[in-house]
Amino acid sequence: MRRLLLLWTLWFTTNLLAVDATLKIEKNVEQRARIALIDSSSEHHEKFFDILLSDLKISGHFLADGNVYKGSFSDGFIDPKLKNRDYLLKYNLQLGSGVRLYIRLLRGADGTELFKKSYSIPDIAKMPFVAHKAISDMNAYLKYPDISWLNRYVVFARYTGKQASEIVLADYTFNYQKTMIRGGLNLFPKWADSNQRTLYYTSYNGVLPTLYKIDIYTGNKSKIISSEGMLVCSDVSKDYSKLLLTMAPHGHADIYELDLSTGSKKRVTNFHGIDVNGKYVDNEKRMVFISNRLGYANVFSKAIDAPGVSPVVYHGRNNSACDTHESKIVYSSRESASSFGSNTFNLYLTSSRGGDTRPLTTTGSNQFPRFSQDGSVVLYIKQSSHGSAIGYINLASAQSLLFPISINTIQSIDW
Amino acid sequence: MMKKISVSTLALLMLLGCAQKTPDVSGNILDTNKIGSDTISIDESGIVEDGSGINYNSSSDGFVSVYFDFDGYNIASSMESRVRHNARKLQSLGSRQVKLEGNCDEFGTDEYNYALGLKRAKAVKDALADQGVNTSNIVLVSFGESSPVCSDPTDACYAQNRRVDLRLVR
Repeated sequence: MRRLLLLWTLWFTTNLLAVDATLKIEKNVEQRARIALIDSSSEHHEKFFDILLSDLKISGHFLADGNVYKGSFSDGFIDPKLKNRDYLLKYNLQLGSGVRLYIRLLRGADGTELFKKSYSIPDIAKMPFVAHKAISDMNAYLKYPDISWLNRYVVFARYTGKQASEIVLADYTFNYQKTMIRGGLNLFPKWADSNQRTLYYTSYNGVLPTLYKIDIYTGNKSKIISSEGMLVCSDVSKDYSKLLLTMAPHGHADIYELDLSTGSKKRVTNFHGIDVNGKYVDNEKRMVFISNRLGYANVFSKAIDAPGVSPVVYHGRNNSACDTHESKIVYSSRESASSFGSNTFNLYLTSSRGGDTRPLTTTGSNQFPRFSQDGSVVLYIKQSSHGSAIGYINLASAQSLLFPISINTIQSIDW
Repeated sequence: MMKKISVSTLALLMLLGCAQKTPDVSGNILDTNKIGSDTISIDESGIVEDGSGINYNSSSDGFVSVYFDFDGYNIASSMESRVRHNARKLQSLGSRQVKLEGNCDEFGTDEYNYALGLKRAKAVKDALADQGVNTSNIVLVSFGESSPVCSDPTDACYAQNRRVDLRLVR
């Protein structure tokens, strides 16, 4: 059964990647370090091995050998056929009352030990995070650009029934998942601090939608604000002191900036249609947002403290979601005319400072784009005839990865 | 002579009796086919006949739902009788608080869909105000795509989800 699942996963991923790969501007493969994994564990753990491979691939810094090699952990013997690899990562995984991992990084040419480390955590379910930490530590030792986003939680809301949802924590591969808030309708989770200790979410369980902040370790919860109609925390400033909220105290959705230190609230848009999804850009002096002020959903920008509004995107008739990192903007655009049923949504990358717009996907329905904390990777949800997947695109290396997921009802997601 | 007639009559009756024991049932088989399928079963408790062409409803407390076109939030003329019905009902309730819940089909993304549901609820509130209703006791909320009443992949089903439901706040 497990073998079947693996085969299906490989087939699914290969099929989808084969299509999106048409857009890749491949980083020169020779610029990536060739690396092989040598497993010295008493039993080979296929899922753990696959997670290590995924981490290496999406980092954009390694050209990983997909073969499984077995070998001793401590000796310096290098199989002659592996001597042309830049690096060899030996590892020993022990699963018992918890997870224990030992790693050694060797130079392929002569077997010199470059780096070694051990990890231990009590919760076996969190095994994927051990793999992510090991790869990000190795990457840091080699002084490659930071990939610590591998270690971050993804938080998402999924529908479980009529007016019912759950807020779930996951690792970026979705191999780890834990339902954190269940019962009622709780939506739009958004991280509230850089360490991912607290998050904002909107509860629809009372008469008015209410924004709460919750500590995910203690459960301590505080009410931030309520609004008639709808309430969403769309973005948080870099220092976590200000929020861009979509609220509707006047019966239609507008964007407000809430200063958490003073409690003061500033109305940033004032339009009798739909203004949502405010995201800071350009040192938080401006924002981009989604509005139907031209008769259809499109991406616009405006200064936080000035009234002028200008469109950012000049193609498509339904560009209804976006995310930003500094001046970078990623948005989804509907590219088929069907009012109902399956539609093609593709992701595009553009800039608040103008310049080229670059397509990131070519097939299927690609939605919920979210930048990593450092803006180097875009997360998205892909739906196609093959099923649903969570996808990642490394913007620098054009590497992409898809992990099949069985969740069809994701409501919102943050990383 | 009488005796001859009695014998003949008796013989005829006997023949008829034999015929009744082996009836021609071909016609009956056809009839059996006609009533073979199960009869229908209808729940009319949620049906509204108001000339709008739509006969479903997911509001409660005597209100009727108002339905919308794809990606739209204008009230169609076919929905005006439903708005008038709700206005009469609201006026009869005095100061009771009423919630207008905006809903959408599944074809939208997170925030935009919730805003669209809200615009629909606001459109109904404004239409009720036009009917002379005091709207100070009305609360708006959007449930986006989270509260479907139908999940079949058909246009008719999606249309049932693009709606505003009305109900008393309890």
